[in-house]
Amino acid sequence: MISVERVNKIKGRAQILYDVSFVAQPGRVTGFLGPNGAGKTSTLRVLLGLDRPKSGAALVCGHPYASLKRPLTTVGALLDGSGAHRARSARGHLRWVAASNGLPDSRVDEVLETVGLAGEARKRAGRFSLGMSRRLGLAAALLGDPEVLILDEPVNGLDPAGIRWMRDFLRDRAARGNTVLLSSHLMGELAEIADDVVVIDKGHIVTQGTLAEVVGGHGSLEDAFFALTAGGGPW
Amino acid sequence: MVSLVRAELRKLLGLPTARVGLLLGVLLSPVVVLINAPAARRADLAHSDTGLVELGVGLIGPMILGVVIMSSELTSTGDEAPRARQLTATLIAGPRRMRLLLAKATALILVVAVQASVATAATTGLTQVLHGDRVPVPAFARLAAAVLYWVLLALLAYSITLIVRNGIVPLTFLIVNSTFVSVSYLLTKVTDAAAYLPDIVGAQMFLRESDFPVRIAPVTAGLVMSAWIAAFLVVGALLFRRRDA
Repeated sequence: MISVERVNKIKGRAQILYDVSFVAQPGRVTGFLGPNGAGKTSTLRVLLGLDRPKSGAALVCGHPYASLKRPLTTVGALLDGSGAHRARSARGHLRWVAASNGLPDSRVDEVLETVGLAGEARKRAGRFSLGMSRRLGLAAALLGDPEVLILDEPVNGLDPAGIRWMRDFLRDRAARGNTVLLSSHLMGELAEIADDVVVIDKGHIVTQGTLAEVVGGHGSLEDAFFALTAGGGPW
Repeated sequence: MVSLVRAELRKLLGLPTARVGLLLGVLLSPVVVLINAPAARRADLAHSDTGLVELGVGLIGPMILGVVIMSSELTSTGDEAPRARQLTATLIAGPRRMRLLLAKATALILVVAVQASVATAATTGLTQVLHGDRVPVPAFARLAAAVLYWVLLALLAYSITLIVRNGIVPLTFLIVNSTFVSVSYLLTKVTDAAAYLPDIVGAQMFLRESDFPVRIAPVTAGLVMSAWIAAFLVVGALLFRRRDA
């Protein structure tokens, strides 16, 4: 379970998150929806202890992320890029990540197999396509077989087969009782996969609930989104 | 903590730049001893510092290692996501920042201590072979002090990189300062106080006959240099704890 409670965040002189609160429940896929620059990544970074909030709390399984002893066995996270240094091979990257949490090297080959990168294990991360980088990032997130997944725009750069694979994979994790939180600006994609939806715009949570509740009388998630937000651009 | 240190060792030794630093550190000093030997023998220039002075040129090794252990966290991981850095993966895997910094420092100390021991043994051993009785065998304490000097300079490079959050600036400055134009050494010509700058004072732990403006006892020199490094590390750690990753 993930709970974000009244998080405020200031960057430079600008406030970018205002009293952001929501929960993501076990056994469900929670979609975190918002236009670019709405505060999705900032919220996830606070949740993962990477950035510090001005006030509020973000908890994973009841604890701040930074207090988890072997965090990868509880939480798998995927943010921008793969997280791998350009000069490192996929396996080399995963080997240090595994070592940092006391996980056996055998897990490295298992997760490379899971995300379909077993044949690319020796290739340098700097030569990976965007889609392969996402897969490598996901592989690192899965190393500790975590009960919570936090994924920022996970389908970005994936081809149609990859998107389909990701959808089935995340649904399967939720069906096994895992908590899955994923951010996206792709409404069609999110409508396909999410049980619950949290909508953020300009640093404010504008609505949250089950997919049906959020769609309400709007006909589709996309219609609901544009009705709830300013529209996200000048066009 | 052991897991974090193991991870940092794997990370560091897996980087091509770090391997270059490791090799340069081990090889440069013995090579310089070899190149200098004929001239030193002809002019009868060998003295009790011969073999230890040459360790200075190998310092490029620990400096590279000290910088890249931190700068590799900060470089962009790819064109498609210019803001993405390895540091994100590092802090997700080990979110307790002080423990992370300690693990990095420990890994660096272990690697540089081994590197410096090999370089020191090779350089002084080669000196004995080439110069024989003209150069006395250095006491073990002097050799240990040379190793300590290398380790402390690596930690200095690490702490500066931690503070400035960039690898190119500290690496350029440190290499230029230790090879082409030593700003610290030039300062000693201006003021005696410059004798207490970290790289200058530290050398007095193991060198006896070089041109120092102020004579400082080896133990005092070691303490002064350690205090410098500790101060840099504390500043770096405080900034690292406070800043957003």
